[in-house]
Order: sequence, then C-alpha cells, then structure tokens
Amino acid sequence: MTASVRAGIGALVLGASLLTGFRAGAQEVPEVALQIEQNRFQPEEVHVKADRPFVLVITNKDKGPEEFESKDLRIEKIVPAGKTLRLRMPALKAGSYGFVGEYHEKTAKGRIIAE
Amino acid sequence: MGATFIVTLREAFEASLLLGIVYTYLDRIGARDHCRYVTWGGLLGLLASVAMGIAVSLLSGPLVDLGPDLVGAAVIFLAVGLLSWHSWWMRQHARAMTGEVQRRIDAARAKQRLWLVGLIAFTGVFREGAETVLFLWGLMAEATAGVGWSGVAAGVAGIGAATALGWLVFRGGRWLSLPHFFGATTVLILLLAAGLLSTGVGKLQGLGVVPMGTAMWDTSWLLSDRSGIGTFLSGLVGYRARPSGAEVAAYAIYVLAMGTLLFRPRPRAAGAR
Repeated sequence: MTASVRAGIGALVLGASLLTGFRAGAQEVPEVALQIEQNRFQPEEVHVKADRPFVLVITNKDKGPEEFESKDLRIEKIVPAGKTLRLRMPALKAGSYGFVGEYHEKTAKGRIIAE
Repeated sequence: MGATFIVTLREAFEASLLLGIVYTYLDRIGARDHCRYVTWGGLLGLLASVAMGIAVSLLSGPLVDLGPDLVGAAVIFLAVGLLSWHSWWMRQHARAMTGEVQRRIDAARAKQRLWLVGLIAFTGVFREGAETVLFLWGLMAEATAGVGWSGVAAGVAGIGAATALGWLVFRGGRWLSLPHFFGATTVLILLLAAGLLSTGVGKLQGLGVVPMGTAMWDTSWLLSDRSGIGTFLSGLVGYRARPSGAEVAAYAIYVLAMGTLLFRPRPRAAGAR
C-alpha cells in the first residue's frame, strides 16, 4: 500500500469518525491486542502507527475486573473479569501515552507508543 | 493498601461533596423537607450504579464497548447543566431565602422546583458509581480467594473518608452566615461545574468526537493528578496535570461566561421590587 493511499484512507476514516461522532469506523482499522494477567499488562509497551486510528482489544484474564485508564488519552474503561473489550482509538500523534489498570495501579502499568 | 484507599476516595469524593453542598443548601434555606429528594436521588444513583456494574460484567458486544462511555458523557453534561441551573436559581432566589417575612411567598413558590436537586444527587452518585461498585466487587473476590480483607477494608475506608469530607462541608456550611454561604457555594459550584465540563470535553476527545491535540502544559512534576492532593483538587476545581487545549478553553469559557452571569451587579430596580 503506498503512502498516499494510506493517507487517503486515514483521512477518510478520520472524516467519517468526525461526521458520525464516534471513534473511527471498523473497516481497515488495525487491531492491537493487550492482555491483563495477574494484574499486569502484556505487553507493557504497545506500538502503533502514528496518525492512524486503531482498535485496542483488551482481554482481562484475571478473576477480578480491571479499569483501563489513561489520563493522557482521556479513557476510563472497565474490563470485567474474563471479558474482551474492543476500544476504538482515535489517530494518535507520535508520542508516548501512559495507561494504568486503576484497580491495581502498582503493578498494572504500560504505555502506547505511536511512531 | 494505600492505593486502594486513594481509588475509592477519588471515586466517591465528588459525589459526597455534591451531596454535602445540596443538603446544606436545603438546610440553610429552610427547605429541609426537600432533603428526601436528595436522599432518593442518591439512592437511585447507587441502584443505577449497581445495575450498570452488573450490565457491563454480564453483557458484551458493541453496546457494552461504547454504551458506558456515551452514558458517562451524557451524565457529565447533564450534571453541568443542573449545576448551572442551580447556581442561576440560587442567585434569583437568594434574596427571597434570607427569611424576610414579605418574601416568604416568593420563597414558597420558588421551592416548587427544588425537587430538581434530587437529580443533582443522582448524577453525582451515578457518575463514578459503577466503577466504585466494580472495584469493591473485585476486592471482595480477591479477599475470598485468600488475598485477605485488608484491601476491602482500605476501599471501605476510602468511601468513609469521602463521606466524612462531605459531612464536613455540611457542618462548615451551617456555621457560615447566609450571604457568605451563598457566595462560597456559588464559587464552589462554578468551579466544580467548570471542572466537570472540561472532563466531559476530555471524554469526547477520548471518544474521538473532538480532536485530541497536545497537552497545553505539563505540571505532573509539581502535582500529579493521581496523588492524594491532586485527586482532591481535581474533584474540587477540576485540576489537570496535562490538560488539552479544548479542556482549558471549555473551563475558561465556562468560568468567564457563568461567572459574569452570576456575579454581575444586580440592577437596583430588581432589588427594590
């Protein structure tokens, strides 16, 4: 896929998401997996492409609920025990965005790196 | 243990603050019979929180992926609207509420719409309610799995501390003279609502409705909004360590516009009515 096609799709998806008022549409959006196990995130560093929306698929393998929280991204999302959640994320500028599991903040830490 | 305490304190603080203000307010204007609306609002908020907690735990699919976020954003903006209405209403009727005999009828008429304060209590409790319920639920599950009950104790203590803070507002508010009380609550609610509004704008940014942009400044080295004091200030006046431009703009515009509306001098004619 050439860069211009990518940029075009990115712009379309961004436009559509702004128009519908929701996170970017489901097609063409890459999925990134994130697991919660023993009150830790796996992986603790999530790498994504900058300026492109993606879907963060969070699976909680623990017996208790966890809250995925990122002050940087303004997201607070409860992930119940044993459930998988699909978080549609907006396109991120290049940079590092920290997140924690609010219910186990000491161990559950990680960051999304957009590059 | 300490972290658990902070989590529940953080979640319950805003609710207890709002309940404290609203109870004191009704107490001060001599409408204590209306306190039941607040109690009912708070209880319904608690029930809705439990229902929401159960719903997100049991159900799954796109509705649960996005639903709680939309409900959360709606509750925030509803709360901002209600608090704005309340401040405006307070300004209109503060004079009538000071107990002068000739204004008692005004006051009685004014009280008819006071049941709306129940909605403030509802939004206050429901806003972070489901999270708190699920958090405690998780702690209980861990405790029964053999981790021990100290976590549950810390969680309950956090809610207890938040309740105590709300109660302090109630006690403190009873000691102030009435004009001071009205002035103090107007400022407090103004900042509280501005903080909520900027939180709401932040939520919309998290949902991708409003573009994110970069942080306007970063004061997390000075005061992290995850620390105890940061938590307190974030609930009280909407402190953010790394606010976005849209959040700062929403906060500033609200404080300026609503502040002007609430604190501009009254025309004499209206006072002499």
